[in-house]
Amino acid sequence: MVVAELKKEVEIKDSPVLPDFEEIEASSSFQELMKKKKAFLVPSTILFLGLYILFPVLISYTTILEASFIGDISWSWVYALGLFVMTWILVTVYMKKAAGFDRMANDTLKEFNYEEEGDQ
Amino acid sequence: MNPIVITLFLVIVGITLAITYFAAKKTNTASEFYTAGGGLTGWQNGLAISGDYLSAASFLGIAGAIALYGFDGFLFSIGYLVAYLVVLFIVAEPLRNLGKYTLADMINSRFNAKKVRAGAALSSITIVIFYMIAQLVGAGALIQLLFGIPYWVAVLLVGIMMTIYVLFGGMTATSWVQIIKAVLLMAGTIIISFLVLAKFNFNIVEMFSFMKTATPHGADYLNPGVKYKAPLDTLSLMIALVLGTAGLPHILMRFFTVRNAKTARSSVMWATWIVGIFYVMTIFLGFGAAAFVGQELILSTNPAGNMAAPLLAQALGGDILMSFVSAVAFATILAVVAGLVLSGASAFAHDIYGQIIKKGKATEKQQMLAARYASVGVAVFSIILALGAQTLNVAFLVSLAFCIAASANLPVIVYTIYWKKFNTAGALSSMITGLVSALILVSISPSVMSPVEGAAIITGNPIFPLTNPALLSVPLGFLGGWIGTMLTKEASEAKFAEVKVKANTGGFRQL
Repeated sequence: MVVAELKKEVEIKDSPVLPDFEEIEASSSFQELMKKKKAFLVPSTILFLGLYILFPVLISYTTILEASFIGDISWSWVYALGLFVMTWILVTVYMKKAAGFDRMANDTLKEFNYEEEGDQ
Repeated sequence: MNPIVITLFLVIVGITLAITYFAAKKTNTASEFYTAGGGLTGWQNGLAISGDYLSAASFLGIAGAIALYGFDGFLFSIGYLVAYLVVLFIVAEPLRNLGKYTLADMINSRFNAKKVRAGAALSSITIVIFYMIAQLVGAGALIQLLFGIPYWVAVLLVGIMMTIYVLFGGMTATSWVQIIKAVLLMAGTIIISFLVLAKFNFNIVEMFSFMKTATPHGADYLNPGVKYKAPLDTLSLMIALVLGTAGLPHILMRFFTVRNAKTARSSVMWATWIVGIFYVMTIFLGFGAAAFVGQELILSTNPAGNMAAPLLAQALGGDILMSFVSAVAFATILAVVAGLVLSGASAFAHDIYGQIIKKGKATEKQQMLAARYASVGVAVFSIILALGAQTLNVAFLVSLAFCIAASANLPVIVYTIYWKKFNTAGALSSMITGLVSALILVSISPSVMSPVEGAAIITGNPIFPLTNPALLSVPLGFLGGWIGTMLTKEASEAKFAEVKVKANTGGFRQL
């Protein structure tokens, strides 16, 4: 009896106890993190893909971007380089936002007693 | 061949072999072989991603395309850069949090089914092989031009070098070859851009005015439409470019070489700046080549325009700059093919041998042996194919690789991370639909079929009108996954909670 119980204890120690992921997923702190992430990622993904796809549409079906911006530089170049600037801005903004996501993720992990092995 | 070229060439070979020697001492486990032990920092990995990404096709190809077609050549630069937002927002962090060495690991963190892993490995291997043949054939032709040695010698030389890096130095050597190449490439491009701008007194408006009359295209050169006249073709190409990057196995693999999602994120940030600044400078390279070398000479040296950048270097800086740029182009080729060998080998040795055949129970020694055999296998196989494909027009192979990546890999990645109802059947049908539709559509497209005899592999009218089928095959990949999921009852919703928590918090990686 005692031996059996001891054995059981050892087994529990050896095999990691699986956390209840559905419970974590349903927790308010995790839901809050997902809400914040979605609030940034969904609109910005739609924005950048939209502006990007609009470009080949505009240059293929219209000539409005062929108008002059300065001298012989047309709006096509301005739009194209605008997409570069957009990429850099979104990356920079995301880096800032993501630092906040990291903090929220860490709070969730702490709440469920998960010790981070790394340096998040 | 002049002595400066030979010296620089030997210096690059010497440095990379020295790196491999030191890296070999640090490559004793499968984790060290595939991911350099996950110990790269953000800027190191960012440079390595840039080194992996800026292939000879980017450096020489885009410079040539801008020189020949003006604005239309620049379309590639735009697509290749914006693609990083897809990588950063959708793929990089979940991939790092869920996977170990390969894309299949990440998808299998949800499904744990052999056929899903086999499907992911198959599409990765297909992409790698196509990409590799394109790189090797391009490399052979290029080195033949740059150094005046026969095609087969050039292919063998590159082939042997890449095999040595990967076989002995694994990911550590590959990463450092990529980092050094990225630095050299940026340095070379900055020098040439500076010299080009100096010719125009650093006045961009003056440069554009000059370009208006510098080429046979006249004012059209500065506007879209010189090369891409069919709107749907342009749109389809742009879709493949922006969505393909996030599914390329050798790029995805780079996210396993850092310790956590935060570092994965900062490496994308570094890559975005490096790659972006490089692509802005492709304008100066292209314009400079068109202005100071001339389209006639560029075309007569190489009909695809690949020699535009080296010829420009010759025109601006003489033999020394030309030699430097040639050496950089050589380093570029080596860095990219080494990354490809490694990602192909990981799909074979880790996914197929380690996880499917050995069921994840291979010993460390067996894993290492398998990884090394697979590297040699992938290298030898691609070298043989490349030797036989010398006369093939390889441009469509790269577009095919991007298209398969966008159609077969991206839908399954997106569904796995974000769609609750997604299941095993859906994963499988998504990958297979994407892969097969991309392959079939390309094989009946104008890239493969042309009514002009000898212009393409098959003589005849193309059945499918678009050169790049992404416009159709990417939606098909998504549709395939949706139908597969809807037709089967099996659910993985409980597992989805686990995947969602792990992907978004970075916790519980060991479980």
